[in-house]
Amino acid sequence: MSTLWDTTGSQVVKALTAERRAGGTVMSGLALTLVIVVDEKQVAEAEEAARIAASVHPCRLLLVVRRQVDAPVPRLDAEVLIGGRLGPGEAVVMRMYGRLALHAESVVLPLLAPDAPVVTWWHGPPPEVIAHDPLGVFAERRITDCAWLPDPAQGLATRAADYLPGDTDLSWTRTTGWRAALAAAFDSLSGQALGGRVEGNPNSPSAQLLTGWLHARLGAPIELVDTERPSGTHVAAVRIDLDTDREVVLRRLDAGAVSVTGGAGPDTVIQLPVRSLGELLGEELRRLDADQPYGEALGAATGVTGLAGRSGRRRHVWKDPAERANA
Amino acid sequence: MSDPLIIEPPRPNPLRDPRDRRLPRVPEPCALVVFGITGDLARKKLLPAVYDLHSRGLLPTDFVLVGFARRDWSDGDFEDMAREAARTGARTPWREELWSRLAGNIRFVPGSFDDDNAFDELSRVLDEMRDSHGIKGNAAFYLSIPPSAFPVVLKQLQRTGMADNGKSGGWRRVVVEKPFGTDLESSRELNDLVDDVFTAEDVFRIDHYLGKETVQNILALRFANQLFEPVWNSHYVDSVQITMAEDVGIGSRAGFYDQTGAARDVLQNHVLQLLALVGMEEPVEFTPDAIRTEKIKVLRAITLPADLGSYAIRGQYTQGWLAGERVLGYRQEKDVPEPSQTETYAAVTLDIETRRWAGVPFYLRTGKRLPRRVTEISILFKKAPHLPFSKTDTEELGHNQLVIRVQPDEGVTLKFGSKVPGSQMEVRDVAMDFLYGETFTEASPEAYERLLLDVLLGDAMLFPLNEEVEASWDVIDPLEEHWSGQAPYRYRAGEWGPGEAEQMLARDGRVWRRP
Repeated sequence: MSTLWDTTGSQVVKALTAERRAGGTVMSGLALTLVIVVDEKQVAEAEEAARIAASVHPCRLLLVVRRQVDAPVPRLDAEVLIGGRLGPGEAVVMRMYGRLALHAESVVLPLLAPDAPVVTWWHGPPPEVIAHDPLGVFAERRITDCAWLPDPAQGLATRAADYLPGDTDLSWTRTTGWRAALAAAFDSLSGQALGGRVEGNPNSPSAQLLTGWLHARLGAPIELVDTERPSGTHVAAVRIDLDTDREVVLRRLDAGAVSVTGGAGPDTVIQLPVRSLGELLGEELRRLDADQPYGEALGAATGVTGLAGRSGRRRHVWKDPAERANA
Repeated sequence: MSDPLIIEPPRPNPLRDPRDRRLPRVPEPCALVVFGITGDLARKKLLPAVYDLHSRGLLPTDFVLVGFARRDWSDGDFEDMAREAARTGARTPWREELWSRLAGNIRFVPGSFDDDNAFDELSRVLDEMRDSHGIKGNAAFYLSIPPSAFPVVLKQLQRTGMADNGKSGGWRRVVVEKPFGTDLESSRELNDLVDDVFTAEDVFRIDHYLGKETVQNILALRFANQLFEPVWNSHYVDSVQITMAEDVGIGSRAGFYDQTGAARDVLQNHVLQLLALVGMEEPVEFTPDAIRTEKIKVLRAITLPADLGSYAIRGQYTQGWLAGERVLGYRQEKDVPEPSQTETYAAVTLDIETRRWAGVPFYLRTGKRLPRRVTEISILFKKAPHLPFSKTDTEELGHNQLVIRVQPDEGVTLKFGSKVPGSQMEVRDVAMDFLYGETFTEASPEAYERLLLDVLLGDAMLFPLNEEVEASWDVIDPLEEHWSGQAPYRYRAGEWGPGEAEQMLARDGRVWRRP
């Protein structure tokens, strides 16, 4: 591990090369670079998640902490680690002060693994427009998390307006367990869905996306109803009415299990543990292609159409937070 | 009026979207019936694989595991044994609450294979679970039993109607482990018997090598890239070496092994399957049928050299040192008859008579008590027709090579010449490496995990057809005939086979690659 105080981007690149040589294990096949944008307060949390994800998906981790954008003198501190507390791969933790924080890409670009996909993850409130953050512009895959926002419904609408293929949101990842359970229940059912209900936290983006997904896939009205739910969870139950006079109900029993009643088979209980941030991130890194079903669910949840038809790449749009503060 | 036996074409599940790759492929509700559940394979591989599938969320919610063996056990005794086996062998972290969910759906049916009552009971249990456990008549029968017991078990399945798709109202599949017979004739008999009881597409022959990621990657490497296929033929390829080496001896399998030998045990199935994947033409589409068609074609095109004495070598290990320990010779192993002529090593040169491969020798070798456990396929390319460098510059330049490391260190290596830094022109071989562990993404599942899941999903891609098995025996039978009555060459445990195998390549001006 080497720590560089008040340094430059080139010094960081050199330190990384030196560490790789000293380590003796020069990684030849890096699958991807994961850029993590995080606030100082959440660094420990993000590091823990990155460590878990990096242990399943070897990658180069670049943690960018932007601090004191209004500091008069720009400054870069960096820490280069290989096979340390951030998992088996290579990791660089960078703290950027002053105006440098607005030009983080100037340090990050030379550190990206050559010709390997880049994933950018904002562990914090997502930027309103991804193109405003240069760290999101060069990424093939962009992971936001609307659960950070005080008004997630508005957050999802913003994401839908800004959506391009390759965007994804951790609140969508949180629905995977529910979606797998629902799909499994439908595997052995015949009959058409007439409508249904998602019971849970109406303010949770996950509950909203799940509702959107069901609506889009089943082509039937699905409402989201406020209901008591086990602590730490967002969805208490999902009920689907079928034209065969059946009602399939999946109900969360606790933070680990869900009961299935009214399906084709006998009533059962399935495991549906609430997953850690690291596991969610791990799922995101498994596939690097665009997630169209997310686009579909996001469109259905927010009422924005034409998400599937969007294409192209983002170009960086300069936006100075200082100007807004002055205005 | 609708006939209850005619199953309506299933409506596609609206919640399943092929683009939605976060959701796992989960089989329909079903039962897995294992005969010989107390055996080694079942305990070491099958039960852990069932737990691992369950813990990865890949088993249907309505899943029942039924064990059948001659033990005086209750469901509880069986569950204890299964739990212990799964816990010891599981790849994924052990979670008691996960197991307890599975344990609720475990049944045991005691009985011997000739006991009609026991099979009637099994049939009744399956019928009963159709409703009580929602398995809808779907069941896979895993025959983890010696081949000698196949006929009686299959007859029982036929007699009770358990093998009948129509009668059970769901699918009924059977899983058969190697050895698929001991020669062409016996394998035909076995195939006839199995196909008689089950429909041909419901028979899954497990060759666990095909469940390995690296083996499946051969097809991706060849047919998803532009780089390799153009040179994948006799114009560019000098020879192909396939090695499957084991460092272990025969363990406690003397009874089986002495009857079988390395050629029947390994060459006939694993190694020839690897050869088929390397040598096959491009399938017209990536479907089980299309791939098997091409594999059968290449297996049928294999010819043996005329001079078998020089190009089919077998060996038997003698006492020696391996990994710092003194190990016994084959004949001194427990239960091996003293004058045994069984081979523990086989090396053979094969030709493939197709336009693509004519003139390219395929050197195959397999053996026990070799220096290390390794399986790899090495494609050696021809040397450049002309080298503008002086002879001394390229002394250390060998063949360009593409090596597919099946296990361990799963990955692919490309070897080519490169200039040694310095003022002189000197070219030496260097390697470019792709390592699964380094680059990927998901931990590779155990072969049995993948194959078991495919059986339950009904995906036959990774299972050899009986025509493939028969074509393989067609290659092995003449070898066995040639070898019968001859004493195998000796090699010391811990060396790379008998010297005659080295000579086999030396005769062609080649050497074995040290894996």
